[in-house]
This record gives sequence, C-alpha cells and structure tokens, in this order.
Amino acid sequence: MRTGLMRFSLAAMLVLAVGAAAACGSSNKNSGSSGSGGGATASINGAGSTFAAPIYQQWGNALKSQNLTVNYQPVGSGAGVAQLAAGTVDFGASDPSLTPDDRKTFKKGEAAQIPMAFGAITVSYNLSGVQKGLKLDGATIADIFLGKITKWNAPAIAKLNPGVKLPGDAITVVHRSDESGTTKGFTTFLAAYSPEWKSKVGVDKTVKWPTGTGAKGNDGVAAGVKQQKGAIGYVEEAYALQNNFTTASVKNKAGQFVEPTLASTTAAGEGITVPADLGIGIIDAANPKAYPIASQTFVLVYKDMCKAGVAKGTASGVKRFVDYGLGEGQNVLGQLQYAKLPAAVLTKAKAAAGTLQCNGSPLTGG
Amino acid sequence: MEAGSLTDPRGSRSGLGRLPLTQLQDRALRWVLKGLAALILALIAFFFIRLYIEAQPAFAKFGVFGFTFTNNWDVSRNFYGALPLLVGTIVTAGLALAIGVPVAVGAALFVSELAPRQVRGPLTIMVELLAAVPSVVYGLWGVFVLIPKLQPIEQFLSDKLAFLPFVGGHVPGPNYFIAGLILAIMIVPIVSAITREVIATVPADHKEAALALGATRWEMIRMAVLPYSRSGITGAAMLGLGRAIGETIAVTLVIGNAPTIGKQIFDQGYTLAAVIANEFGEAANNPTHRAALIAAGLVLFVLTLVVNGLARWLVRRAERGKVAAPVADIQANAAAAGG
Amino acid sequence: MSTLVGIAPGRRRKDRLMRGVLAATTLIALVPLALILYELIKRGIGSWSADFFTTDANGNFLGDPGGIKSAILGTLEMVGLATLIAVPTGIGVALYLTEYGRAGRFGSLVRYFVDVMTGVPSIVFGLFVYITLVLSGAGGSGFAGWKGAVALALLMLPIVTRSAEVVLLLVPDSLREAALALGAPRWRVVLRIVLPTALPGLVTGSLLAIARGAGETAPLLFTAAIINGTSFDLSQRMSSLPGRIFADVGQAQDRLVDRAWGAALTLVMMILVLNLLARLVSRRSRLT
Repeated sequence: MRTGLMRFSLAAMLVLAVGAAAACGSSNKNSGSSGSGGGATASINGAGSTFAAPIYQQWGNALKSQNLTVNYQPVGSGAGVAQLAAGTVDFGASDPSLTPDDRKTFKKGEAAQIPMAFGAITVSYNLSGVQKGLKLDGATIADIFLGKITKWNAPAIAKLNPGVKLPGDAITVVHRSDESGTTKGFTTFLAAYSPEWKSKVGVDKTVKWPTGTGAKGNDGVAAGVKQQKGAIGYVEEAYALQNNFTTASVKNKAGQFVEPTLASTTAAGEGITVPADLGIGIIDAANPKAYPIASQTFVLVYKDMCKAGVAKGTASGVKRFVDYGLGEGQNVLGQLQYAKLPAAVLTKAKAAAGTLQCNGSPLTGG
Repeated sequence: MEAGSLTDPRGSRSGLGRLPLTQLQDRALRWVLKGLAALILALIAFFFIRLYIEAQPAFAKFGVFGFTFTNNWDVSRNFYGALPLLVGTIVTAGLALAIGVPVAVGAALFVSELAPRQVRGPLTIMVELLAAVPSVVYGLWGVFVLIPKLQPIEQFLSDKLAFLPFVGGHVPGPNYFIAGLILAIMIVPIVSAITREVIATVPADHKEAALALGATRWEMIRMAVLPYSRSGITGAAMLGLGRAIGETIAVTLVIGNAPTIGKQIFDQGYTLAAVIANEFGEAANNPTHRAALIAAGLVLFVLTLVVNGLARWLVRRAERGKVAAPVADIQANAAAAGG
Repeated sequence: MSTLVGIAPGRRRKDRLMRGVLAATTLIALVPLALILYELIKRGIGSWSADFFTTDANGNFLGDPGGIKSAILGTLEMVGLATLIAVPTGIGVALYLTEYGRAGRFGSLVRYFVDVMTGVPSIVFGLFVYITLVLSGAGGSGFAGWKGAVALALLMLPIVTRSAEVVLLLVPDSLREAALALGAPRWRVVLRIVLPTALPGLVTGSLLAIARGAGETAPLLFTAAIINGTSFDLSQRMSSLPGRIFADVGQAQDRLVDRAWGAALTLVMMILVLNLLARLVSRRSRLT
C-alpha cells in the first residue's frame, strides 16, 4: 500500500512533467510553421479596448473558418497601447486617438491608428421602479461622479425629470479601475459641461476618481452596476443591452435629451472631419439627433510590423484582420449595436490599411 | 528503494583510503548542492537589485519617503504617492488580524487541549483545508456571496454604530471590512497551525502541575499554556500579518479599487498588492508609472520581509530545542501567501 | 458528596464558559470552509458537463461562452514545468542544508533567505518575471506559458526547500553514521540512504507546493496572461484555471459567472486531491 501510493504520487508528478515537456516540444513545430506567410493558417495576438471587445471577438469567430485565429485580450485601451509599445501583442486596440505622449512610447516604429467602428457610452443605472430614459445632463452626471449628488431623489435629478417618482436610495458610483478609452470619452464629455470636473479631476484614460467603486473593463463596471442597488456606471451600449440595463437619456450639445441607440450613435459620427492621422473624436457632436457620449474605436498597428518584430506570416494575418474589419466586418456591427464608419472615414481607413508594410514591401494580407 | 547498495560486499576495496573516483563524486555532489544553495542567494540578490533599479525612476522623482507617504495616487497626472495604498494594506491586514487571530488561536487551543483525541486529526485537517482554497476562489465567493449577504448587515451596523470613529455612512458593496474579513479567513489556517505547533512545545510537566493543583482546564490553559507560548503566538500572528499584507487577488476583487483613503471601515479603498495587479498591465509604456508600481512592489516586499523576519525569529525562539512537528510545519509553509 | 476537593461554582462556570468559547471559535473557523464548499458545489456542479471540459473559452459576446479545456491543460502544463524546476532544485538546496551546511555561516544564510522567500507575496514574483523575461522578450515572445511556470517555480521553490529540510532532518543521524562506518562514500549515503528514507516526506512537501502553485493567479497575470481560445503551447500565452476564474469573476453575465464557479469547483477539487494525496503519503512515512 505504502509503495503503491508513493508510486502513484510520483507517477502523477511525472505525468505533469512529461506533459510540460511534450508541450515544449510541440511549440517548436508551431513557431516553425507560423513563418510561412500568405493566406495560410495564422494566429494573431491583440489586446486593448474592452469597449470594442464584442466586435473583435465576433470578427475573430468569423475569421476562424478562414484559418485565422484572433486571440484578443480585453484588458482596456491603456493596456492595449502599453502592450503594443512593449511588443507583447501584434496589434493593440484603443478607443481614444493616440496622443503625442503615446506615440513617444512606440520605440519599435511608427504606429497607425485605424478606426473600426462607433459605439455609445451609456450611463446605466440600477434603480428599482425607475424606467429606462431617466433624463440627465452633463453637469448633473459630473456632480454625481464628483460625489456631490449622493441621493437619487436629489433636486438636481428631480428637476430634469418632472413626473418621475425617484426613490431616496443612496447613489453608488461604479467606474473603471484600469486605463480605459471609455473613461476618456466619458470624462471628455463631463469636462465639457462641468468646470469643476475639468479642474479637479480632468480628462484621461484613468483619473483620480473622487468617489465610487473601481472595476476592470466595461464588463467589470457592468457587473458592478448589476450587483449593487442604486448603482450608476458608464458602459458601452452592447454591454448595457446584454445585461438589460436601464440607460439614461443624455442632453446633447443641441439641448436635446437623446437615448443611446444605433441611430443616435450613427448620427454622432455623421459629417465629422477626418484629420490626416485619422485621429477622430465624436464626443459631444453638434447634430441634434446625436447621442453626446459616443466614441470611436481604433486598431493600432505598427506601419511596418516586421521591422517591429512581428513575423511576416503574423503580419499578414493582422492585415487580413484589418481588411476584414473594414470590409465585411462593417456589416455585422449593427447586430451588436455598434455603428458603421461613415463613407468618408471608411475610405481613409482603407487607404491607411493599404499602406501597412513588412520590411518595406506592402503587405498583401493574402 | 535502492538502499540495497549499502549491503554490497565491499571486500574488494581496501579500507585504507577512498578511491579517487569516489572522492571526485563526493566533491561533485557537494559542489552541485552548494551551487544550488548559492543560486538561491544569487537569485534573491538579483531579485532585489533588479526591483530596486527598476523602481529608481519613481524614487528619484518623488523620493523614497515622498513616494511612500504622500496621499496622492493619480495616474492621469503621473503623480504617485502610495499612502492610500499603504493605508489600505494596513487597515485590511489589521482587520484581518483583529478578526482572524482570536479565532485561530481559540481553535488551536481547542484542538490541542480540549477536543477529544479522536476528533483532533479531522479538525486539524479541516482548519488547514482553508489554506488549500485558492485566493481567486475566495475572491469569487466574496463577490457573489459575502458582499450581497453582508451589505444589509454592514449598513445596519454603520447606521447604529455611527457614534464610533471610522464608522457611519453609506456602505458600498466592496469595502475595507469585506477585504479584511476575507483576509481573516485566509490567515486562520497558518496562524492556527503555528499556534498549535507552539502549544505543542509547552512542557507536559507544566500542564500537569497546574491540573494537579486543582486547576480547571481553562485555568491550566491560562496559567500554563498561554504564558509559555505567548511569544510564539505573537510570531504566528505576525506570520499571518505577512500573509495578509501580500495577499493580492482576493483583495483586488473585493476592496473597491479606489485610490483614496476611505473615511470609514466600510469605504472602498486600495492596497499595494491590488494596485499592482490592476495597473501593471497598462504601465508598460509609461516609465514613471511602471517604476511606481515596482516601487510599490518593493515597499510590499520590504514590509513582508520585516514582518516575516520578526515573526520567524519569535516562532523559532518559542520552539527552541524542539523539532517541530513536520507536517504542521510543512502545512504552515504551504499555506497561501499571495494570490 | 464528592470526595474530591470541590471546585468553586464560579470557577467551574468560568471553565465551562471558556471551553464553550474555544469550541465556538473552532466552529467559527470552520464555517467559512463549509460555506465555500457548499456554494462551490451548488453553483459549480451545474456548469459541469462534457462540453465544459472539452471546449475552450471563445470570448463570444453572445451565446455559448465555451468551457475550460485549455485552462485545465494550461494549469497542468505550467504547474508541471514549475514542478520540474522547483522540486529538484528545492530538494537539492535542502540536501545541502542538512548534509553539508548544518552549522556553517553560509548554510544559515541560505536558510534565512529561503525563509525570506516564503514570505514574498506572489505578485512580486510575477513582477520580477515580467521585468526579467517578458519585457526583454526572452524566447522570442512577450507573454508565454513557460514564463508563468518560472514565476510559479520561484513561488514553489522555498516551500519545497523548507519542507524538504524539515523531513531530511528527521532522518536519524545514526543511519548516516552506520552507512559511513560501513565504508559507503558520502555521496552514496546522501543519494541512496538519506533521500530514499525521506522520500515520503519529500513527496508530501512537493505535493503541497504543487497544490499551492496550482491555485496561484497573481504570478500568472503578467507572465502567461489570460486568453480565450485553445492553448497548449508553452511558448505562447496560456490559459490557466485561476486565470480563467479571475477573468470571469469580473463579468456581468451569468453564463460567464457560472463558468467561473464551474472552473473554481474543478480547481478546488484538483487541489484537494493533491492535499489528500500528500496526507496519505505522509501518514505512510516511517519518520513521523
């Protein structure tokens, strides 16, 4: 019995070890085959925006049948930029356009930002008895997130919602704890309507929140809102719909209260000007039909991926991913309540994708 | 196993001196083993130096003191003062000790001195199984069971006990108290295991003497067991403290991740370990932020170093002269330290 | 009436009370274990199915989220590799400490630092591996399963060493002396007498270290990363059970949270089996 048990334990350890060794062996085979470029089997790694994660996961599923595996890690826009700079991913994903400071961190080469879609940042709340469409404006939302408004029946909220019976629950703010494009879009909007927010907290992918619970990713904030009565948070529309959240109608630049919908997000993107580096921004659009807290989202890639250390086969894979996203991929956006890129933006995005290179020669993408 | 070689007839070998080959093998083994031991020292030295170098940009910019004791962790302004994190770490670890140590010591006393002999083994195993539950599972349980179940109770306490300092106001789900409670559960097995070990070193004479004088069981514990093992129990508590300080994943999930100093024990906060887990992934391209997080790691490292060093010293002193019960010691070592 | 000296009622009451209090603390200590196991089984067993163990997390925003096959494999592989590194090294160091360095200054220095290492928070090991292996792109990639394994090995090393030392010290010196007196060379004594005698204890310590490593999340966050999809290539990013659970805990959707409970039940079962095995082995040991 004694030796039997011992043997079993040793055997168990041995199995673990052999498994590990076998995996080491198989790794060589894989890395060998990934070098053969073209439309062959490829696997690409990406990380970043959780705002856009539903899109990339959907696209990844579609591309699987075309022998392209997309491993996308939704870790937040900040981490997307950071990981691209550190070279731990083949492409990054970020909602806000790159800042000069961001660009300074790219030591491996120049990066391109290619817009992919638009989405709405909803203000979602968990308040029993209150329907969807609670009216809020920028200043009020800012005061809530500043911790100045702490009860749901506060006069500032009641004034915007005559006739709505508001409970006296305490407000629990839920915000992002990671560096997030969603946060940047949201704080940009708040700063536009609240001087106090602008001076005290500011605009960035992460800020020093005066109050509230921090959570990772859009999904984390959604979980926080879902789990706490009286909670308020900001999440991308797909996440709000998925969880059946009640979302606020937010007052836009033209003074209209607009609900986050596919139509109002599309309206926010209409007629925007596109700078040469494609660094667009659609927060607080002037269109009276526009939802004011809408955001774009970008895929970030090195203009010459091979020079930045990406294998040629992988680089072609990334190109295929981008091409798919700007082509067929645009048609599936609506299912997830993201808006397509307007024609003007799409043309320029495709042109930018066309300039991607591998060691100086254009990438075909297979 | 192959110990049979011992009985090999050695007649062929002269008893005068060892063969050069054997001597060589002897030396080889000795040096290989010594090399491995030296490797550990080299590793830790490298470890410390590398962390220190990587943390330099933060220390250079804010100063060691300024970094550690400034109350402002503001990533967007690229300013890093770790006081809110340090306070969070200390508050949660303190709560963990306040809740966990009495329970752990009580359980150890019960198991060692009062429980019927047949149930001691099973009880010991069950308490130690708490250490087998991974940190992330504690976090999962905390988020989906503990937080929703306790929130009304916490709110009630917060309202009724508002006259106390650091109590009162709205209770959000994740907070210092929940984190401290989970940490308390997590440190119970190690504190209990070491306490049992220490209690086991109390000479039977002392206990019998107390009983012979007509002491009740409790009086025996109070007069013979506790005084003798006091410093060992303190050491056990400090080992628990070391664990609580370094615990990462469970805390990250239930502390609320707010880089401010909470006004009360039911407020959200942050800890050194949690901030590293949350922010490190995105700090790779911001040298100051990265350095600040590594510096936070270094502060954590030094903190656990001091606490553990002191704890080990206390426990060793308490156990002097007695070889520890091996399984308990192994268990204690294997008890969860991090996340 | 009792012939024994009576105990004053006050003292007796106090004794009863304190016994009750101590028994109560034991109960309190055990309540969380019972609650956790109860919730794990209640919520976890529902997600267990053949599909759950044979498919991979797919990251699908809607519909079936997939299972935990790669997470289990990843944990087995990374912990396996970590064991391969940590157990021989740890036992080697322990052998040095007990057979050669019992008294010397070098020996006590090593012993002290092994103690220090047991107290280092696991996230700090993750940081260290990130700095040295991930940022430098060692092995041609950023995050990789083998780097996660290195971080786990660092964490397991001191546990293996400490427990091995305790066990090796229990091997009676008389055994060593007898063998030496019979003319056996030192290295044979160490490898053929001391090691086999202590083997059950060494296995126990190693199994417990493995159980520790298997449950760790923090060292894997920035070394092996957390991914969807299939992964069993140690040179690439890799899933793990704790990583999968951590990723799923922060989710709002029930289908993902359910997967977290299912994965947690799997992980806890694995660890409990390792613990059980460790105890059975140690019970068979001649030394204790």
